Amino acid sequence: MRAGPVLWRLAALVLLLVFITKPQLFAFVFEPLTINNAPAIYNQGSLFSLTLAHLGTVFSAALASTIIAVTLGIFVTRPSGLEFLALSRSLVNIGQTFPPIAVLAIAVPLVGFGEKPTLIALFLYGLLPIFENTLSGLTQVSPLTLEAAKGMGMSPRRRLIEVELPLALPVILAGIRLSVVINLGTATIGSTVAAKGLGEVIIAGLQSNNMAFILQGGLVVALLAVLISDALMSVERFAARKLGQAPS
Amino acid sequence: MIEIEHLTKRFGETIVVDDVSLTVDEGTIAVFVGTSGAGKSTLLRMINRLIEPSSGRVLIDGQDTMAIPEDDLRHRIGYVIQGYGLFPHRTVIENIATVPRLLGWDAKRIAARVEELLDLFQLDSAEFAAKYPHELSGGQQQRVGVARALAAKPALLLMDEPFGALDPVIRHKAQEDLLAIQRRLGTTIMLVTHDMDEAFHLGDRIAVMDQARLLQYATPAELLTRPAEEFVERLVGTAERPFRLLSLARVKDAIEPGPSQGEPLPVSATLREALSQLVWTGRESLPVTDASGAILGRISIDGILAHGRQPA
Repeated sequence: MRAGPVLWRLAALVLLLVFITKPQLFAFVFEPLTINNAPAIYNQGSLFSLTLAHLGTVFSAALASTIIAVTLGIFVTRPSGLEFLALSRSLVNIGQTFPPIAVLAIAVPLVGFGEKPTLIALFLYGLLPIFENTLSGLTQVSPLTLEAAKGMGMSPRRRLIEVELPLALPVILAGIRLSVVINLGTATIGSTVAAKGLGEVIIAGLQSNNMAFILQGGLVVALLAVLISDALMSVERFAARKLGQAPS
Repeated sequence: MIEIEHLTKRFGETIVVDDVSLTVDEGTIAVFVGTSGAGKSTLLRMINRLIEPSSGRVLIDGQDTMAIPEDDLRHRIGYVIQGYGLFPHRTVIENIATVPRLLGWDAKRIAARVEELLDLFQLDSAEFAAKYPHELSGGQQQRVGVARALAAKPALLLMDEPFGALDPVIRHKAQEDLLAIQRRLGTTIMLVTHDMDEAFHLGDRIAVMDQARLLQYATPAELLTRPAEEFVERLVGTAERPFRLLSLARVKDAIEPGPSQGEPLPVSATLREALSQLVWTGRESLPVTDASGAILGRISIDGILAHGRQPA
């Protein structure tokens, strides 16, 4: 990787960290956006703890999505699970097509307000990219490699763990990255059902007609998404390089 | 010794391998030739049970392969395919160590064996050990593929078009190397190819297959002089016949007493090489020497041609 982009990312990270820990330093930037002497910086909670809560929600949901989607992807590519492929696909597709806000509406009466309905919505929404990428990662492993592995007497379990999964890893990681990035944005709606997160800042801005708040919440989420996507992409590149695939 | 008895494979209505029986002696190379779709690869894959036979059986040193758990069986049989199927995420060393690792050898024994194989296949371990397959040339990949198949010292090596992906120059070298290694280790080899030159070059015996049936299983010379069916005759190539016969015989088979002039030929050369040397230098005969350089006699065009003639 060249030095330029790395420096830019480092600068963005530093900016983000300073902003969420000492937002008052940036008050002068946001003041022009306020009207009637409204506060320029979100004052109903610490941006830092909201960011942590936001990340916590997104990563817990991503972890759950990854475990379920990868397990499902492995199962339906085994001979014994092949017949469930179509069924699993449509289930996962429903998870993606069903709007997260509708999931919240259904989940709140069942599990109450707070983080739980948000986790459910994000979990369902994040399944599809991971599942589809697990499928394509596993099915694109060269049949020659698998034939050789089988011919040398590797058991199906060993073939999966030692050959198929390592070779599918870059593609699976890309699916996880996609899912995380989508959900970093989507998680903001959790604040409508009282989940702690950066959505709070945006919603507070909408309610009090304070453009400065909306912008702050949006910018922090956007910066997080860019930085995390970048970080995960370099993990993918590292994994792909180990396989001798051209870094993309 | 490998005994194949009435081996048959049906996929639904289609018969892919039809009642094939043959025996491969210990330490010899049996080559399977035929048109594509003749059933050669299927036959090979039934030996390590990548394909389960519909009927018939395979005995390795008298033991029925169906009585051995399939992974155990495959640990004992080396397997090389066209394209080799090296693990792209593993280094040369890790690739070669695959079967010993599956067998649970200790690290020291594995390292020693890998070192031995790298040496045998002329791969400098300092240079190649830590490389990944995509960093190797085609010829190097092929050598790693064969080394990996031989890692756990299998008594039998199955090879399905092992040289198919190599260019002609490297292919010839790879065949020579395989022959040298086979002679040194005494491994029994069953090899599938559609290249007749390769078959005559490598095979102690050649099995000709067509439309799922085994037409003839014989020594290369027999195949040329007594083809069992017209298909065999066509496959070995009528125009190539005398030259193939000449490449099977050595100068020592046609040596005659008497003096001669010119660049001497080694007694170990094939008659085809001798003939080509005679034609090229425009001589009627050339002297023959043994490995130490002593003159043993001479070889003449007439003497060579007699060996390429159709037997009476």
